[in-house]
Amino acid sequence: MELKKENLEKALTALTRLGKVLVPGVVDGVKKFVPYAAGADIDLDMVNTTLPPKDVLFPQTQKMYRFTTGPDAAFEEISDAEEQILFGARPCDAQSIDCLDKVFLSGEYTDAYYADKRGKLTIVAAACAKAAPTCFCRSMGVDPGGAPNADLLLAPTAGGWNLHCQSDKGKAVLEALSGLLEDADGQALPPAQPELVVDMAPVAEKISTMFEHPIWDELHRPCIGCGTCTFVCPTCYCFEMGPEMHGAEGTEMRYWDSCMFSEYTRMAGGHNPRPSAKERLRNRYLHKLSYFVERYGQTLCVGCGRCVEKCPANLDISRAIEMIGEAKTE
Amino acid sequence: MSENSANNKNPLLPQMCKVIDVHRETPDVKKFRIQSVQGQRPFATLPGQLGMLSLPGVGEAMFSVTAEGDDWLEMALKQTGLLTDALHELNPGDIVGLRGPYGNHFPIESSKGKDMLFISGGIGLAPVRSFIRYAFKHRADYGYIDILYGARSYDDLVFKEELFENWPKEPDTSLHVTVDRGSPNWQGNVGFVPPYLEECAFSPAGKLAVLCGPPIMINMCLKSLSKMGFADEQIVTTLEMRMQCGIGKCGRCNIGSKYVCLDGPVFTLAELRELPQEV
Repeated sequence: MELKKENLEKALTALTRLGKVLVPGVVDGVKKFVPYAAGADIDLDMVNTTLPPKDVLFPQTQKMYRFTTGPDAAFEEISDAEEQILFGARPCDAQSIDCLDKVFLSGEYTDAYYADKRGKLTIVAAACAKAAPTCFCRSMGVDPGGAPNADLLLAPTAGGWNLHCQSDKGKAVLEALSGLLEDADGQALPPAQPELVVDMAPVAEKISTMFEHPIWDELHRPCIGCGTCTFVCPTCYCFEMGPEMHGAEGTEMRYWDSCMFSEYTRMAGGHNPRPSAKERLRNRYLHKLSYFVERYGQTLCVGCGRCVEKCPANLDISRAIEMIGEAKTE
Repeated sequence: MSENSANNKNPLLPQMCKVIDVHRETPDVKKFRIQSVQGQRPFATLPGQLGMLSLPGVGEAMFSVTAEGDDWLEMALKQTGLLTDALHELNPGDIVGLRGPYGNHFPIESSKGKDMLFISGGIGLAPVRSFIRYAFKHRADYGYIDILYGARSYDDLVFKEELFENWPKEPDTSLHVTVDRGSPNWQGNVGFVPPYLEECAFSPAGKLAVLCGPPIMINMCLKSLSKMGFADEQIVTTLEMRMQCGIGKCGRCNIGSKYVCLDGPVFTLAELRELPQEV
């Protein structure tokens, strides 16, 4: 089945009956996923949005519960999940959602806020026929031609996309699109071949032994601790919780936090186990390339290249992976 | 708000509780007895487990549960920052939030039949006290009990009633208390915990050492215990990192791939040697 480009707007309009449709768009010059509205400035040709779609499941600010203080104190849970369709997410972004699923849904505790939103999310992923210069997804084990955890996969053709249904939620999308699809498949375009290639094999072999390696004395030097890398990263999920007060009433909020900030690990009394950029950058890279692998069996980097593109100090995780791979260990 | 967060699907939602008793331990430590607003114990804990205590509108922080009764939990809080300043203002009847229990616990099963050596400094006695109380409650399960405790001065010793009244009366138990600086109201040993530990010359045979205190004291005592012949598997300690969620999601309390809130706070020295040295 093929969806022709000329039917895209009709298709998105049809999907709004299923829930809030989020599409790659541009707002104030920033490329990100935005709620679809007829005539909106959508761009399915852009390779990657500047901001990742993680806020769809893990908002930058999440209201957790309301409370009142004083003798009549009370707490009231807030649930704000709604049906959402993430349309046009790239394979790297779909893989990043798989990483977030591991964090928030697996293990002893399930994160209720994430679980509510995840249960109501339909992922319509768009495979990539072209790559940006900063893309290195294949090196991180992500196939730009597929997205195993998507409900529906759009595979690009010369005049639109072939649709591959991958779940029951995908079937619901197909049903909503009936009448707008061609019966036959179009001529599929070959998947992208990113030019940026890094070798994770030597890194996987030795990184767990490199905590004390002198390479960290070098790698962190350009870092100014701005946190941009964690902000644009589709898999960075660290958060902070705290109250917003209005008189005696308040709302407990959850915010994105960044392991690159000094406050992040500073304890009451002033002790900080990660006092400088060296310890913080080391922890971020080791978390992505080693600790997460130990805990969940996959890397916490999907090779989307956003941090490479946006770091104001030109820190480049793909280059770091190369350097770690080449570093001498005993 | 959950009436009982133990049964709630949302682990980040605190249970509404009230302070039922406040006891000043030292100039900067107070002990709080906490109960659910329905008059029950907020949750059951095992020795060494943690609770996330919150003051609505101010903040939340993780503390060890130092004791539990049939219908209460106890936490001992040292005044060190914004939140503990505010918590120290609380009076019986005041409302707090509580989540938990979090973390693993002291090895209460594998230590059965062994002699116990509890070593702690300052507020570090708070987590260790939960194990000491457990051992006395199940006295027949444990061998000889030595409790070594030190603080900056006599005034800074916490849980004095137990240290000087209750615990010395227990059978097969010795107390070894020391202070960094002597004073007219102190007749006992003066000196830091690690040298006093070596002076006491405990035999490692059949013994488990449980250690908690400030990082410098822990590091020195680990060296002393190794020197005294204790194997890495015979030494248990607790780690502290800044924590926020308590459920291994928010990211900040990791040491290597372990989360202190989830996989800790209790580790054997053998386990610690496998982790990056970042505390």
